[in-house]
Amino acid sequence: MKKKILVVDDDPNILDYLESLFSDNGYDVVAARDAKEGLEMAKKDVPDLITLDIEMPGDWGPRFYRQMIQEPGLKNVPVIVISGLSGNAYAIPKAIASLKKPFDREELLGIVKDAIG
Amino acid sequence: MTEQILIIDDDIEHAQALGTYLERLQYEVSIAAATKEVLPMLDTSWDIILGNPFISDQITDRVEQVAQASLMTQVIIYVKPEVLDQAMERFGLKALDYLSLPINSKALELSLERARKNAFQIRKNNRYVERLGDLHNAQILLNQLFDVVPCYISVQDKNLRITAINKRFKEDFGNYIGGHCYRIYKHRKTPCEKCPVVQTFEDGKIHSTEEVVTSVSGKQYNVLTHTAPIKNAKGEITQVMEMSTNITQIRQLQDHLTSLGLMLGSMSHGVKGMLTALDGGIYQLETGLNQKDEPRISKAFGQVKMMTDKIKKMVLEILYYAKSRELQYVTKNVSDLVKNIVANVQPLALKNNVTLNIRIAKNPGKIEIDPSWLEAALVNFLENAVDACAFDRNKPEHIVEFVVEKPDTSRLWFKISDNGIGMDQETREKMFTLFFTSKGSQGTGLGLFIAHRVIQQHGGFVKVESEQDKGTLFTINLPRKRPEKIKTIVAGE
Repeated sequence: MKKKILVVDDDPNILDYLESLFSDNGYDVVAARDAKEGLEMAKKDVPDLITLDIEMPGDWGPRFYRQMIQEPGLKNVPVIVISGLSGNAYAIPKAIASLKKPFDREELLGIVKDAIG
Repeated sequence: MTEQILIIDDDIEHAQALGTYLERLQYEVSIAAATKEVLPMLDTSWDIILGNPFISDQITDRVEQVAQASLMTQVIIYVKPEVLDQAMERFGLKALDYLSLPINSKALELSLERARKNAFQIRKNNRYVERLGDLHNAQILLNQLFDVVPCYISVQDKNLRITAINKRFKEDFGNYIGGHCYRIYKHRKTPCEKCPVVQTFEDGKIHSTEEVVTSVSGKQYNVLTHTAPIKNAKGEITQVMEMSTNITQIRQLQDHLTSLGLMLGSMSHGVKGMLTALDGGIYQLETGLNQKDEPRISKAFGQVKMMTDKIKKMVLEILYYAKSRELQYVTKNVSDLVKNIVANVQPLALKNNVTLNIRIAKNPGKIEIDPSWLEAALVNFLENAVDACAFDRNKPEHIVEFVVEKPDTSRLWFKISDNGIGMDQETREKMFTLFFTSKGSQGTGLGLFIAHRVIQQHGGFVKVESEQDKGTLFTINLPRKRPEKIKTIVAGE
């Protein structure tokens, strides 16, 4: 069965990019345009991995993460931060990786592969 | 100080006896007895020349010369009683004293004492004259410095009345000696709070402040002001000097650099997002081409184009901000203006499924504007309205209305309303602030800031009414004629 990735980013163009990139590489992808939507989608259908933007209208990435780990089913889902903010490595210390925009495609795919195969 | 005495006497024994006597009185004595000795010895300078100058005509002339030329040399003449009158006639006031032979020792001592006092007075006078000259030169120099120092200098009394000013002050603030500092510098009727001059009067220390002052020509200057006490001989502070350095250019540059730095910092985030999206477009284009997937290629191409446009727009905004320019006014038909604006916004509205309703008052007439800036500003307001709808997911249908009204003959109202997400109080208050954005990585925080400034520069103003989750109404109130004062758009203003 294909592994499932939830992409959370407010920029539709970046969502589109990540969706194509992951589905081209054999993953199932669902996309959310903000933290609230992302959390609902994750709760409904638990993903294998989440990529998370930090700065978004409404709740920011760290808030999403705090709410996410309250959910027993989501607590252990690996999170990759993809953000344009400098210093984003400190935003969510427990993320398995923090990538800066514009990110390196191969690097991202490598991290995802290591995490969920 | 030992005084040097030259004794002129052709009677060598008399001279020697006199010399011995004077040496005992602590004088340094030289004797010129032979006629040919006298002349060369008169070439050196003596404190006192004592003796008979009538040895030869040549010597008489020479002694007279010395007595006249050198104030520092005192001449005391002694002669036989029968030639005393003749001597007095010849030398008059050029000699200090006349004694008759044989010399009365008391009279000689008094004469020498008088000579000493005289010499002392003369030396004192000379010193005073020298000092006076120095003082005069110093005063000239100080006056020059006072005028050429690249500062505004004023001297003020306890009532903050100006008692002296330098040339630069006169040039920029007028020659108002006797006027109040606060009136001249700031056009105020009362003294400024925390006046550094007052503080210096109180504690005698140097104080400094940074002020904004207004010159006679109405220009505003940022000045760095230092005050220093001026004391009288008793050490009391009678006046205070105020020195102000014009740092307007530095401040302007600093402000501009600060906001440029701030802008680049805040924009780097947006730029990163755009570059990532551009990467995405290129990736899709590349994979689309590999897979010969037509729809993917055309979608990717659309995305690359859009990102390029966005980056272009952002670069233009930066350029706008980094440059200062004057508005280029032309008179335009309001209906043409609206047509152009709508043509610019329509594609974005269609893409986001937002209905754009336009209503223009009958015969809207003409307006004097810089079309490129004003159109861009109004487009910006409309795009924001469309965005506010696009972000909203709670309403089934979204409408942006663009209404032009003519409340009177001199003004126009451009009303832009939407039923989008609306704004909370913080967003309402900060929306025109440089770099404020509620759009996360989508916004630069420049658009509305610049749009608002353009409206202000056209002599207009913007009213905002907004409620969260309900929508927003912008009323842009613009005069039909260009404002009297054509303002230059100065970056960092």
